[in-house]
Amino acid sequence: MTEETMMLAPPRPTPALPAPVLSVEKLRAYYQMRFFGVTREVRAVDGITLQIGRNEIYGIAGESSSGKSSLIKTIARAIRPPLNVVDGSVRFDFGEGPADIYKLDPHALAAIRWRHLSYIMQGSMNVLNPVRRIRHSFLDFAFRHMHLPMPVFLQRVEGHLARLNLEPRVLNAYPHELSGGMRQRVTIALATVCRPAFIIADEPTTALDVVVQKSVLTMIRGIQQEMGSSVLFVTHDMAVHANLTDRLGIMYAGRLVEEAPTRSLLRRPLHPYTRHLVASLPRIGDDAPKAGLNGTPPSLAKPPPGCRFHPRCPLAMDICRTEAPPMEELLPGHRVACHAVRQELAS
Amino acid sequence: MSLPLLELRGIGKSYGGGWLRHRTRAVHDVSFTLETGRPEVFAIIGESGSGKSTLARMILNATAPGEGQILFRGRDLATIRRAADRRAFMQAVQPVFQNPFEAFNPLKRVDRYLYATAHHFTGAQGRVAQEAKADEALHKVGLSLAEIRGRFPHELSGGQLQRVAIARALIPGPALLVADEPVSMIDASLRMTVVNLFRRLRDELGVSIIYITHDLATAYYISDRIIIMQRGEVVEAGDARRVLMAPQHPYSILLRASVLSADPPEADAAEADAAEAGVPAQPWSPAGASLAARSGDVP
Repeated sequence: MTEETMMLAPPRPTPALPAPVLSVEKLRAYYQMRFFGVTREVRAVDGITLQIGRNEIYGIAGESSSGKSSLIKTIARAIRPPLNVVDGSVRFDFGEGPADIYKLDPHALAAIRWRHLSYIMQGSMNVLNPVRRIRHSFLDFAFRHMHLPMPVFLQRVEGHLARLNLEPRVLNAYPHELSGGMRQRVTIALATVCRPAFIIADEPTTALDVVVQKSVLTMIRGIQQEMGSSVLFVTHDMAVHANLTDRLGIMYAGRLVEEAPTRSLLRRPLHPYTRHLVASLPRIGDDAPKAGLNGTPPSLAKPPPGCRFHPRCPLAMDICRTEAPPMEELLPGHRVACHAVRQELAS
Repeated sequence: MSLPLLELRGIGKSYGGGWLRHRTRAVHDVSFTLETGRPEVFAIIGESGSGKSTLARMILNATAPGEGQILFRGRDLATIRRAADRRAFMQAVQPVFQNPFEAFNPLKRVDRYLYATAHHFTGAQGRVAQEAKADEALHKVGLSLAEIRGRFPHELSGGQLQRVAIARALIPGPALLVADEPVSMIDASLRMTVVNLFRRLRDELGVSIIYITHDLATAYYISDRIIIMQRGEVVEAGDARRVLMAPQHPYSILLRASVLSADPPEADAAEADAAEAGVPAQPWSPAGASLAARSGDVP
């Protein structure tokens, strides 16, 4: 098929995936605060629809305060007021049919957590209890989900640590005795020891230097391939996405603005924000001047009307100031929310 | 022949001591020189714990070196102890810190920092004179006083706040900025704004910048010279482009090889051509071909 016929073809709706593990439908989650009768809403997650298939690494990129963390907290149902789900659904399917995580009773939720749905957190320093040995963290997090007698459980944990190139004696260490890379590997081991079907990773490598970062990413990939889990991987580092994720969604001001297989998104970004993001990445050996993006990220309490990117957008038109563009599949597998790009591809 | 701006002679520093006499050597035998009248961006690169920040603290005269000498315009930093001397030194050497949200007190309006700096270092008396100094410095970083007057740190974005921090550092008219990981906490879209700002400061204001980072890509983009540190020692030094394009020391080679490329890994030619034409190589099926190539161990 040539490029021309591709573009003339009418946009088709996203085909239903063969049993996605996670499907998020029009999810809205706002921070709702009331001070002396005045209600203030911060629209951190505003109408997000996405699906993640089995055995897939799905990346989410976006700047800070674009709602990445609120989105994954909402997906994991790890939210507390003032962050509330206003609309939409989050459905997981762990082989027993899709179930809305917000309709589960606390027992059912506890049964899913860690067993099927686990979380690699950002600051390994803050996850591990500093005054207890690593062994205690494993007991705390995983023991009751594994339903194994203690010696078998510990044997299983040691075997799992070996897979991450950690010696069994780290179990007897305190977190401060381990280096940053080792601690991060321990948190990965914690999150994967129950062989969950779905792993959420929130900036797991941001605090690490490049050498350790590479080994940690290789490990996440290796564990994922071995277990066939799905991973939702959040980071603002595009280089990490380029090397790890299968599909990539770009978030801007609480909305998904573009989603495509990582390779085609980086080769041919469509949304003006993504284009800028990809073009401004510094590369070793590239001497071309790079420009920063003008303007400031919008406030989510008072987002601009219409398309939220229009105040900073070089392609902004009149319609962008009044009407929010819908997320449409303009190329196969490539969803974009932009009026200008739609016109460009249609003409 | 004028004196060099900054000269480090065999600087070393170790921490520890105590009962077991266990000492950690943070920095060992580091020497380099920044010339006067030739402003440059000098990058210090290394893994965490390689002594980069300790070195920065010693250059800022916040920590005394254990061994060696640091000379600023020919004067040993160890002899700068009187308040007037310290103030003169601080006027010439200013820091920019990693996380602007931690550098500023969240309960204090950011413009107050600018006024205080103007008062201490330029002798500006009265709010009008201080505001003029602050506005001048903010214009150098692409902001204006009207934008930040009376704002608290949380009301500004990370990039804006970091530029305010740089503007504050520029008020005394420094000859040297010591920037410790200045962009690692800033979003990708704003990072290049700050990095380009450093470049402009060097070219237009003649400020030398010591740029401490572990991000090799931005170091390549702005630095003139570079040193690579491992466990407190300089393992490779030289022209930034030459060092990063063709590293010699095994550690530099490892570092260079660990940098993740932002370009997607090259696939076979047919696939690349298909992607060029806007057609994904595989049919749109996340559970299909692309994943079948991976493990079949689906639970």
